[in-house]
Amino acid sequence: MTEVARFEEFSYRYPETATHSLENLNLDLANGLTVLTGPSGSGKTTLLRTLNGLVPHFHGGHASGRAWVLGHDLRGTSTRRLAREVAMVFQEPESQFVLATVQREVAFGPENLGLPGSEITDRVESALQAMGVHHLSSRRLATLSGGQRQRVALAAALAMRPELLVLDEPTSQLDDAGAASLRRECQRLCDQGRAVIAAEQRPGRVAVEGVRPLELSRGSLTEPGRHARETVPMPLRRPQVTGGMAWQLRDLMVGHGEPVAEGIQLSCRRGEVLCLTGPNGSGKTTLLRTAAGLLPPLSGSVQREPGRAAYLPQEPGGVLHQASVLEEVRQTGRWLKLACDPWPILSEFQLSSLAGSDPRDLSTGQRQRAALAAVLLGEPDMVFLDEPTRGADPASRRLLAQVLDRLAQAGSAILLATSDSHFAHQLGDRVFELANGRLQLCEEMAA
Amino acid sequence: MNPRALAVWVGAVLLLSLGSEDPVFRALTLGAALAVLMVRRRPGTRLRPALVMVGAASLLTVVFNFLLSHTGDTVLVTAPSWLPVLGGPLTLEAAAYGVDIALGLAACIVAGVSLSLVVEPYQLVDSLPAPLSRTAAALGAAMSLVPRLGQSFAAVREAQQMRGWRPRGLRSWTAVVVPAVLTTIEGSVLLAEAMEARAFGSGRRTAQAGSRWKRGDLAITATSLIGVTGFVVALCLGQVPGWQPYPSLTLPALNWWPALCCLLLFTPALLP
Repeated sequence: MTEVARFEEFSYRYPETATHSLENLNLDLANGLTVLTGPSGSGKTTLLRTLNGLVPHFHGGHASGRAWVLGHDLRGTSTRRLAREVAMVFQEPESQFVLATVQREVAFGPENLGLPGSEITDRVESALQAMGVHHLSSRRLATLSGGQRQRVALAAALAMRPELLVLDEPTSQLDDAGAASLRRECQRLCDQGRAVIAAEQRPGRVAVEGVRPLELSRGSLTEPGRHARETVPMPLRRPQVTGGMAWQLRDLMVGHGEPVAEGIQLSCRRGEVLCLTGPNGSGKTTLLRTAAGLLPPLSGSVQREPGRAAYLPQEPGGVLHQASVLEEVRQTGRWLKLACDPWPILSEFQLSSLAGSDPRDLSTGQRQRAALAAVLLGEPDMVFLDEPTRGADPASRRLLAQVLDRLAQAGSAILLATSDSHFAHQLGDRVFELANGRLQLCEEMAA
Repeated sequence: MNPRALAVWVGAVLLLSLGSEDPVFRALTLGAALAVLMVRRRPGTRLRPALVMVGAASLLTVVFNFLLSHTGDTVLVTAPSWLPVLGGPLTLEAAAYGVDIALGLAACIVAGVSLSLVVEPYQLVDSLPAPLSRTAAALGAAMSLVPRLGQSFAAVREAQQMRGWRPRGLRSWTAVVVPAVLTTIEGSVLLAEAMEARAFGSGRRTAQAGSRWKRGDLAITATSLIGVTGFVVALCLGQVPGWQPYPSLTLPALNWWPALCCLLLFTPALLP
């Protein structure tokens, strides 16, 4: 075992905050794969950021104690210097893209290393192959799906051929094939004697032989597996509700100019939960947005009964703009003229203690819950959620399942697009797979 | 098309359209610029917004010159003298000179637009010489932020509409504009963080592959340079006729030498 990083009594807090994000951390990281778990806001992302010096060099704040990464003292080594040996994939891959097309984006890192052109080409091609996105090399990043972007971000990190690969929620939008590709690459890096550390809410998706579990709770290390044991139970599947028709898609062709799926026949009754799964780039978001009335169909018809539709986009940041989580939820009530108390839904998503916080100061998982609380206030007649479990820890997934279960029982017609097939099969009355432009029923709960 | 060859061609169009006031040469360079834009634009790019912009700019130029110049013998109409600035004779010569200026302006805009419609913006950035590679990467990152702001605005508007927001007056738009701007600013900070984390600025930077030169690119560069050289030489030798519509409108003179130089600018449109 080779030591990769060492922390001694390391504590850190972000600027203008009173609480520590990491507290008295004592940790030795060796080569091989380490999987980091813990609830939202426990300091996982902060710990990962220390491994390439973004904390504290880029973010400022106050750090105490000592830390070494690949033999470099963190205090005296800049991020750009560490970045030559440590590659990182961020939690929101779309925010890390620098250039416009896939190939140029993956080449950006190796170009910064000053490598010869031919080697850059080799690295780019093998990284794209490894993540199964070689066929997208000339595409513009803006035209890719969330999962495809995540694969490109992973390819960009692999192309750096780092000694230490740091991954923040790397499979949050990946389909099973994408997760398998990532697992294979992690194994390959570990076999080469390199180190990989991944913060992951579904550790099984990246786990390889010899994986070391690590768990954080409130900025400190804790016994691995504790968080999973403490979480609330998944709701039991309710009896199937057969209310009136809420919406119906007939012989639908969807896409942005070019069709991505066709021949779609789908209907949803009140009280029903439909889940839409499928490989990355198969058109789940496009179909969801068409069903929600946000995108006109290329052909066919969308029929929706009158009523309120709630919609959560894939990137929840666009929903949040008020000064506090409480105000954010209240704002929905004001716009929709709902006489609803915001506290029950905040409590359902365990956000009561964060009600006064600025949504933009929250962790990604907490933000996702705040956005869900804001859009699901009241009892919407139709619910359309795009990747609602993105970045969510097991507890948050269960909370979401409970809320959706309550809404379904109250008569909401719910459609989820998700790459979390486990969640889809646990929650959905019917689970569909969208692949190769066709929609197929995968599972139907017995009446 | 090689971005460097395109840049040379654009430079030639600018020089020839501004190097003489003769409307014949300006019309020829505009024709070349339009032909190249039509033939060489990337698949999927929209021509209409660019043409609307060129048309509007040209029309405004003609109208302004017609209304504000008040010079020339052929009076078409006389605006009342009590009208500030506009009052006075409105002449055919002023309109003709406006058309001449509009031709030059349109040629320049169309050539400039072709930089973004014929090649990808990042190809242009990548084609900057090696000493400017860091600047080029930073420029590329900055360029990618502009479409992101548009995407962010559209996404926020969509999400807020689904939460019940409706545009009611200017103030109501803060519910869309504020989160869109905040998201973009936040995105810029994350981008800076990502660039740092990807070793940007850590040492000498290289490029994956310079843009390749094909025979056609060499032909475009050569004809553009010949056109410019020929035109400049003709200008120095007094072979490029000037044109002034004032005080009385006259037809522009035509000299085959500079006209041939302008015709060379059609090369990119004629090559396969």
